[in-house]
Amino acid sequence: MHAVIPYVIAGLLFALGVYGVLRRRNAILVLMAVELMLNAVNLILVAADATIKSALAGVQPEAWAYPVPEPRAGAIFALFVIVLAAAEVGVGLAIILQYYRLRRDVVLDDVALHEHDHERVSG
Amino acid sequence: MTVADALMLALGAIAVGSAVFVVTSAHLVRAGFYLVVSLGATAGLYLVLGAELVAWVQILVYVGAVVVLLLFAVMLTRAPIGPSPDLDRPALPAALVGGGVGLGLTVLLIDAFRWTEFELPPAGTGRRVGEQIFGAWVLPFEVLSILLLAALVGAIVLSRPDIGARPDPNAPADSDVPPPGPVDESDEVKARLERIAARQAAAQDRLRAQRAAENAGAPPTETAGVKTREDVLREQAHDVVFRAREAGPTLGGPPENPETSQEGRPRVIEGTSHENPARTLPTGNDRALPRGTDRALPRGNDRALPASADKGPALPKPPAQDDEET
Repeated sequence: MHAVIPYVIAGLLFALGVYGVLRRRNAILVLMAVELMLNAVNLILVAADATIKSALAGVQPEAWAYPVPEPRAGAIFALFVIVLAAAEVGVGLAIILQYYRLRRDVVLDDVALHEHDHERVSG
Repeated sequence: MTVADALMLALGAIAVGSAVFVVTSAHLVRAGFYLVVSLGATAGLYLVLGAELVAWVQILVYVGAVVVLLLFAVMLTRAPIGPSPDLDRPALPAALVGGGVGLGLTVLLIDAFRWTEFELPPAGTGRRVGEQIFGAWVLPFEVLSILLLAALVGAIVLSRPDIGARPDPNAPADSDVPPPGPVDESDEVKARLERIAARQAAAQDRLRAQRAAENAGAPPTETAGVKTREDVLREQAHDVVFRAREAGPTLGGPPENPETSQEGRPRVIEGTSHENPARTLPTGNDRALPRGTDRALPRGNDRALPASADKGPALPKPPAQDDEET
């Protein structure tokens, strides 16, 4: 099996996520693009889990790199990232809904980041 | 090119293609469903790479929870069903940055893993993952549980407006509430509403009088012989509902007779008049409870209230009259 396939797929997914975050104005769509980026990172982790032994053939193993006898921690990291993504989506959607309750809109260009932006936005 | 390679290529094409639709679709809901397809294809990639637990957790958490949360947010923010025209910024800077990132990552990863071949790992079991999580990675696991708790509390605090709320000095005062429209103050509307209320009260009084008459021990006599008591009651209820609507004022219609539409002098309701007392059998047009030969039988066009004061002798039921005078 070629190890390059999942890596390239993950790179393309991450690039699409970056494009979506920069392109979209709706906050919910920005969250979807962030999910795509996190998913690409997960794919990188799982692919490394499966292929890193073959990729590091000939490299002198370091003692600190093997906390367990079978160094297959990529899947564990992917699980952790999934949990982090779930928490991020929960808090992010709470923020978005609160903002919608205040302003009746979820357009990111109109978010007042500073105090002096308030008059310009609401005016 | 093995079977696993072809499978990964196909799944990767599905994932990347649906991700393109996620970031370009003009429909909010369609973007959410394309995200489902992309995440599902990625779960398939995890399966091919031998990480079963991650694949199923991906389907459970991402497809089952995160996308549902996103669609809930789409619903709660009143997103339009159709395409949204103002969903995107100008495409050029985003395309430049995104294309640059994609090109850089692709070149880097191809250069790093170009000739690397690997064997399909043995089928993973939950035992290995469990040993690692609760052995080497138990501290990050516990920290992650605390983070989940913090996210839960934070989401609740953010969602409840009464926690830590401060009065906003810039908020509009309550006096900005628009005043009630002129139609609320109109005498015509008031008079019309009073007429409607009077009519409803009259119908209620009549029904209550009938019920009191029945409870007083006056069973309806079967004079007709063809209609059962339930039929007659049903027809009466039908009349109360539909005749009241027909008799109601219509917009743009001719003005009503003020004598019959004023409060205290409601319209004549059927079943209470003494007109034509000689008739003892209800015909097809009669919709009233037959109460015997000595009582007047209603006619379809009669609309009177049993409780109207100026038509006291017209009341056929003495207990009904007592009920309404009290």
